[in-house]
Amino acid sequence: MVDNKKLQGEIKKILGRNDVKHVICYSKGTYGFQTTPYFVSKKDDIEKIIFSPLCVNNLSLYVKFDEGTEKIGIVVKGCDSRSLVQMIQEKLIPREKLIIVGIPCNGVIDPKKVRQKIPEELENIDVVEKNDKFIFKRDGKKQKIPKRELVFDKCLVCEYPTPIIYDILVGEKINPLGKDEYKQVKDLESKSLDEKWKFWEKQFSQCIRCYACRNVCPACYCKECMAEQLNPQWLRRSVNLSENTVWNVMHAFHLAGRCTDCGECERVCPMDIPLMLLNKKVEKDVRELFDYLAGVDVDEKPLLAMFKPDDPEEDIK
Amino acid sequence: MSDPYQPWPATIETIIEEVPGERAIKTFKLRFKDKKIHNSFSFKPGQCVMISLFGVGECMFAISSSPTQKDYIEVSVMRHGKVTSALHEIQPGDTIGIRGPYGNHFDIESWTGKDMVFVGGGIGQAPLRSIINYMIDNRDKYGKIDIIYGARTRRDLCYKNELFELEKRKDINTQLSIDKEEDGWTRFVGFVPNNLLRIKPSPKNAIAITCGPPIMIKFVIENLIKLGFSDDQIFTTLEMRMKCGIGKCGRCNIGNLYVCKDGPVFSYKQLKNIKGER
Amino acid sequence: MSPTQELVIDKNKIPQFIKQTLSSYIVLGPVKNNNLVSFKQITNSKEITMDFTNSKVPPKSLYFPQTETLFRFTKDKDIEIETPKNDGKTLVFGIRPCDAKSLKLLDQVFSGEYEDSLFLSRRKNTTLVGLTCNSPSVNCFCTSVGGNPDDTTGLDVLLTDIGDKYFVELLTQKGKNLVESFNEFKPAKNEDKKKKTVISRKARESIQRIVKTEKIEQILNEIFENKYWGEISRKCLGCGICTFLCPTCHCFDIQDETAGKKGARIRIWDSCMYPEYSMQASGYNPRPAQMNRMRNRVYHKFNYFPKNQHVFGCVGCGRCIDECPVNVDIIEIINKAREVKNE
Repeated sequence: MVDNKKLQGEIKKILGRNDVKHVICYSKGTYGFQTTPYFVSKKDDIEKIIFSPLCVNNLSLYVKFDEGTEKIGIVVKGCDSRSLVQMIQEKLIPREKLIIVGIPCNGVIDPKKVRQKIPEELENIDVVEKNDKFIFKRDGKKQKIPKRELVFDKCLVCEYPTPIIYDILVGEKINPLGKDEYKQVKDLESKSLDEKWKFWEKQFSQCIRCYACRNVCPACYCKECMAEQLNPQWLRRSVNLSENTVWNVMHAFHLAGRCTDCGECERVCPMDIPLMLLNKKVEKDVRELFDYLAGVDVDEKPLLAMFKPDDPEEDIK
Repeated sequence: MSDPYQPWPATIETIIEEVPGERAIKTFKLRFKDKKIHNSFSFKPGQCVMISLFGVGECMFAISSSPTQKDYIEVSVMRHGKVTSALHEIQPGDTIGIRGPYGNHFDIESWTGKDMVFVGGGIGQAPLRSIINYMIDNRDKYGKIDIIYGARTRRDLCYKNELFELEKRKDINTQLSIDKEEDGWTRFVGFVPNNLLRIKPSPKNAIAITCGPPIMIKFVIENLIKLGFSDDQIFTTLEMRMKCGIGKCGRCNIGNLYVCKDGPVFSYKQLKNIKGER
Repeated sequence: MSPTQELVIDKNKIPQFIKQTLSSYIVLGPVKNNNLVSFKQITNSKEITMDFTNSKVPPKSLYFPQTETLFRFTKDKDIEIETPKNDGKTLVFGIRPCDAKSLKLLDQVFSGEYEDSLFLSRRKNTTLVGLTCNSPSVNCFCTSVGGNPDDTTGLDVLLTDIGDKYFVELLTQKGKNLVESFNEFKPAKNEDKKKKTVISRKARESIQRIVKTEKIEQILNEIFENKYWGEISRKCLGCGICTFLCPTCHCFDIQDETAGKKGARIRIWDSCMYPEYSMQASGYNPRPAQMNRMRNRVYHKFNYFPKNQHVFGCVGCGRCIDECPVNVDIIEIINKAREVKNE
């Protein structure tokens, strides 16, 4: 559990500096299980800053378009810090620009899962971690639910719960919560081509091309996305199975070796498309082919901008 | 219900290269293929049409010819993006689509007897040409006419030949300018808003219409006010990205007004009060 | 409009009723797929669910599809244009009052000086059977924008779940035509009517989120230049979910798509939250920042649309609040805007 007062104190210290524009953190949302990104600067209310198991957003995406020269403070969980590592590797943002408040995380609650178990009401719900359960308090009543049933799938196999880079750590370091065996990817890999196609056909038919997956992704920062380009036009604007497939597969390929598994794309998708399944397949292939995982080593070069002597390509041998 | 999105086929009769090279402008003389449509098509100066290049797209252009010209309608196109670049490649005899006319128009009826001041820049002269030519064809209905027009360079001047001819007329005051000095240019050198201040047209019983790049419009309006023009004596035609042209796709709005439907002609009095970006 | 007739029908007779309608209508209803409900064409009454809050994608998609062909063309020596054909008689089952109201708002947009025949002919050919919201969800606020969980605006028939029966209100001739051939509809008794009244009242009272809309158009006029809009739009991703899932959003793009000599001019949903939406070919963008775009959206719903059409451009369905990835909340935005004015 994170001590909110301690977190607020650390952020206050950061804001006390004269070279910081703002700190990006979390505050309570407007209803039920919601939390929301909160941009806090000197004149804003520190007491609104929170961290709870409902803080699901990956705040690092807000760093990608910041063009100012002032420093930015940012609160990150383990998975979020990997996005920052990837951005630093790609030289999108210099390390010195960031003041990173790291929060070792035991898993955050998947809103889609919790809404199945507890009815959503207007009042913000209180949730604390106790051992392997979450305790929800509302109207004086308590409800205990095992963590395993509520956290994101990614949290169950999280290998980096402690932020990889940070300037301040709020909380004790945590050991890996699991090991990623790519179980769901392997299940799908074992199916026939026909079955695989039928699965994805059903999923991509639902896509409404809102591009939320792209906008929320910390690794997507092209000034003009391939999907928007008109000269030449790579992707028709028509929303149908063919174009939707192009979009989703193209997106996954553009993230090859860059996706850090934060899972935000899948969380935000209004049509419940299992986007992480696609991204994790590419991630697994990259790991097997190049022994590379994105966003874990800030000194490593990005996969597609470097080579290793034992890479399988013919032109390297 | 007829389909408002379907264009009528039209032929390109002639193409005039107004400005070659960079920032190219071409004027297209168009005729509807169907004679009945051609004869029944009527518009007022200031109105626009959607020009379709089938397979490429559609763009809204001001009709730059006067409605007194019955044989064809003219649009002037500056090469900028996907559709305008493709338009610059077509040849006389090719087929395009036209739908319209759309938008409101200059109030040519209530402005009879008034002195007219036209302030144009670059391709912005296109909608102004429609009303200028209309007034020339009905010259005795209107008072003084001042045409203040400029472009970046001599090459960028649109409707060069027509304007040089107009300069010779005694009943029209044509004042041309270019932004920077050039060999052989003896007229005013400087920005159009400054030329306006130099010429000092009188606001008495006058209407001023301006069209050009957004920044030019801003300064022209400022200077017109300095010269004593009131908000409802100043008019402009605005441009926004457009798709449907009939006020349904939403994108061309300035506040609660749609440029395609409630414009493109706006008085400065209107614009001052709208809560919206332009 | 003919006077309302009040009937009841046993719930277990509904599947039979739907089966009968299938023979003379194209029937569209709420279909559940995992947890996602959407309005789809059905061929079997079992496919429909009546146990849902609302569809993810609003039923505007049935009249104003996300992708629609305006006309086809063939580029040979000449251009041949082909107009798309209309659908047949359609029945939409289970539409919520807020969504039915949104269709009336869209009617205003798509008619007028230029009539959008694609949209309007589909609307003319449709009969709408609505379903009262017995349990509005957390973010519903229809009552703040002139609606109600049992509002009849735009509907031909309204069903209210009163236990083992549906209370049935016939609102138009189309509604009457729909039910008269099925003899399981019986006149409503006083106790049925009482149940309906109680349920409607409870539903209304259960709506907790209120948007203070009094004089909001005026207030927005006064705070257009306020830095408030920059503050509330900082976290906005500009993703487009709110606009695509909004039942009253109607912005669209038009593009030509070709394959060889044949092609089509199509229209697709577009979003004012994207920068390209208002980007001009010259590179000038009147709404260059998220602040401009967010402000434009809020104003469109609560200032511009009311100025033009004299009603709010929002029906209070709450989808934008439910689905926003970063909790941009229109209720909070409007209520706080009032406070900004007083600063």
